[in-house]
Amino acid sequence: MTDIQSRDVAIDRFIGSNSTYYRAAFHKIGAQRGYAPSFNMAAAIFGPVWLGGRRLWAAFWPFLIAELLAVVLIAFALSGGAGADRAARADRLEGLAAVRLQEATTANETDATSSLAKALTRSAAALGDAARQAREEAGAANAQTSLIVTLGLALFLAVRLTTGALGNQLAERRFRAWRLGGEKVEGGFSRLHAAGVALLLGILIPTIAFHFADRELFRAFPSNPAWNSASAVWLDGVVSAISGTVAPVANGMTNGINAVLTLTEAVLTQTPWPVVMIIIVAVAWQLAGFRVFLLTAVAISYLAILGYWEKSMQTVALLGTAALVSIAIGIPLGILCGYKRRVAGVVRPLLDFMQTMPAFVYLIPVIALFGIGKPSGVIATIIFGIPPVVRLTALGITSVPASVREAAIAFGASRRFILFKVDLRTAAPSIMAGVSQTILMCLSMVVIAALIGAKGLGEDVLHALQYAAQGQGLLAGLAILLCAIVLDRIVQGRGTTARD
Amino acid sequence: MIELEDVWKVFGKDENAILAQARSAEPDPAALERLGAVIGVGGASLTVKRGELVCLMGLSGSGKSTLVRLVNRLLEPSAGRVRIGGKDILALGRKALRDLRSHRIGMVFQSHALLSHLSVRDNVALPLEIRGVARTTREDTADEMLVRVGLDGLGDRRVSALSGGMQQRVGLARALAANPDILLMDEPFSALDPLIRYDLQTQFRALSRELGKTTLFVTHDVDEAFRIADRVVLMRAGRIVQTGTPATLLAAPADDYVRRFVEHARPLAASRHEATTIRAIA
Repeated sequence: MTDIQSRDVAIDRFIGSNSTYYRAAFHKIGAQRGYAPSFNMAAAIFGPVWLGGRRLWAAFWPFLIAELLAVVLIAFALSGGAGADRAARADRLEGLAAVRLQEATTANETDATSSLAKALTRSAAALGDAARQAREEAGAANAQTSLIVTLGLALFLAVRLTTGALGNQLAERRFRAWRLGGEKVEGGFSRLHAAGVALLLGILIPTIAFHFADRELFRAFPSNPAWNSASAVWLDGVVSAISGTVAPVANGMTNGINAVLTLTEAVLTQTPWPVVMIIIVAVAWQLAGFRVFLLTAVAISYLAILGYWEKSMQTVALLGTAALVSIAIGIPLGILCGYKRRVAGVVRPLLDFMQTMPAFVYLIPVIALFGIGKPSGVIATIIFGIPPVVRLTALGITSVPASVREAAIAFGASRRFILFKVDLRTAAPSIMAGVSQTILMCLSMVVIAALIGAKGLGEDVLHALQYAAQGQGLLAGLAILLCAIVLDRIVQGRGTTARD
Repeated sequence: MIELEDVWKVFGKDENAILAQARSAEPDPAALERLGAVIGVGGASLTVKRGELVCLMGLSGSGKSTLVRLVNRLLEPSAGRVRIGGKDILALGRKALRDLRSHRIGMVFQSHALLSHLSVRDNVALPLEIRGVARTTREDTADEMLVRVGLDGLGDRRVSALSGGMQQRVGLARALAANPDILLMDEPFSALDPLIRYDLQTQFRALSRELGKTTLFVTHDVDEAFRIADRVVLMRAGRIVQTGTPATLLAAPADDYVRRFVEHARPLAASRHEATTIRAIA
């Protein structure tokens, strides 16, 4: 059997009925580079039903959605479009104006100079104007109606023509996938799927029609507010029960965090400012080189000259503590995740939750547990800041080449040696990227921390927000940014700056 | 020096069931399939004498890399005995095993497996660092090893700055650094281009003879095996098919598989003294 014959047989088996047509079509497509023009009448006439029956789902969904959009446009326009609402309003206003005019006439007849009569006349005139305006708008909207209908029809036609024009190409592509996939990909025309699609259309299109015939129908989902509030009340109970039981632990944590914070803050703010500044700048030079030294000097001058010095030290104490705790917990946790796939399976969704849940949501239980003030700010910041360092540490550990680890074992390395001298060293770039991300994320929580009573630069931003003081807000925001960048660059040290 | 006695390594969920099935008089392939069994090494027995260079040869997946990893317990044998210098190493505790690995066995890998964050010198000194040797001593030893493999003066380079052939020399220097009496070579030259491979083979044979190391050398290349080996072990599907000198394999292949394997060997590639023996036998 020649290749061409075997292909024809394959096409027959793939297509099922009417394969002569498809043989010719597929040959034409195969013989031509680029797009070979062809038109599949069945595809154009039956649209989504044909696509569904041929199981061309990747094309089916966009085409179906475009077609439904066309139907919605047409139904919307035919039911009076946007004009229907406006016309109803105009009718109502005209009625009111007529009544007001009647009252004014009556008042005029009694006493032409009374203020009541004048007021009524003015009101009637105003209502008349409004009615006229609504009428005009309705007219304009009605003029648009025919445009919308045309648009809808054009869209519908375009979808069907495209389906027809692309039908054979799509079928041919699926045919090739079917041949490649050892014929595991299903071929032929599925009556079941076609019927399913027809049923779907049979539900969707009448629903659209009913909605536009009577716009109150299917306007909003019949939600159940009672269930919502019952669930919320139940969760309230759960949260308060938890905070009741873990209160002693929470108190301990609060005190611990407070002690650390007070100490670091005292060191940073009570030491004379020249000493702190000189030490920071010197450390920057030593650890990260000249460029970071310059950056640090500029940032510190900005903070000091504009009067943000003390506040920025408070901020650094608060969020620096949070970042430090995040890193201290995050790196070991990340190492564990890197070694134990099962731990990673549990931790990863938790990290997703911590990163995605808006801070304001977990702020509520955090406040319930730890009260308003700095400790809550630190804890909320840790929750938000810990995921990157955990993730990137785990990534670094898992991407240490197995062969390198094997070599170390072959030379008699202990687990400890492998962890500290092989894995952590090889994973260091990834871990440092995580540390950097965590520091920046922590500093970005500064305003939310200020919201629950933590002093510092966040407070200034919060004030600026309350009084719409754009200038103040920008200056304080820049101060936060500088704190974050300087902290990050110093921690990253020479390694990254040399490569930059 | 190295003795393997009926060593098995099977992979799968239930090692014991697989082992029982595979060791039975007539193993049932369907049953093994059901157990999801992969026989890495099946009942291999082999003795490597002191100072001998033995090549493990076979196609990819024939179990040669698995077998070599059973010698230093990078893989735990499912059954059998492994003795080094007469001592049963399967009985060793963790600490004793680590000592054995760091004092007596050096290993070279196909993928170099060098630590990219360390300098060339520190990579070579790694086994000594693991052993807890003082810094100056291990650096001196590392430099000495670098001279041996022809990389003198490159100790301060980054590993990534070296070519593939040079990286493999670093791997060899690392294996020699702890002065082990056994070398395990897992396809060390397979990823290199033919000219460099030829050079390294020559150099390695000279070095290993000079130092008198007991060597187990894995390769899929007949020419390589015949050039350097005292004896060749041919494996297929986890089992040892034939063991013998290159001359024996050429002159009296045990079966068709061995014959097909060796018939494409370039006769000139066989070492010179072997070539004369071949002629004598023929």
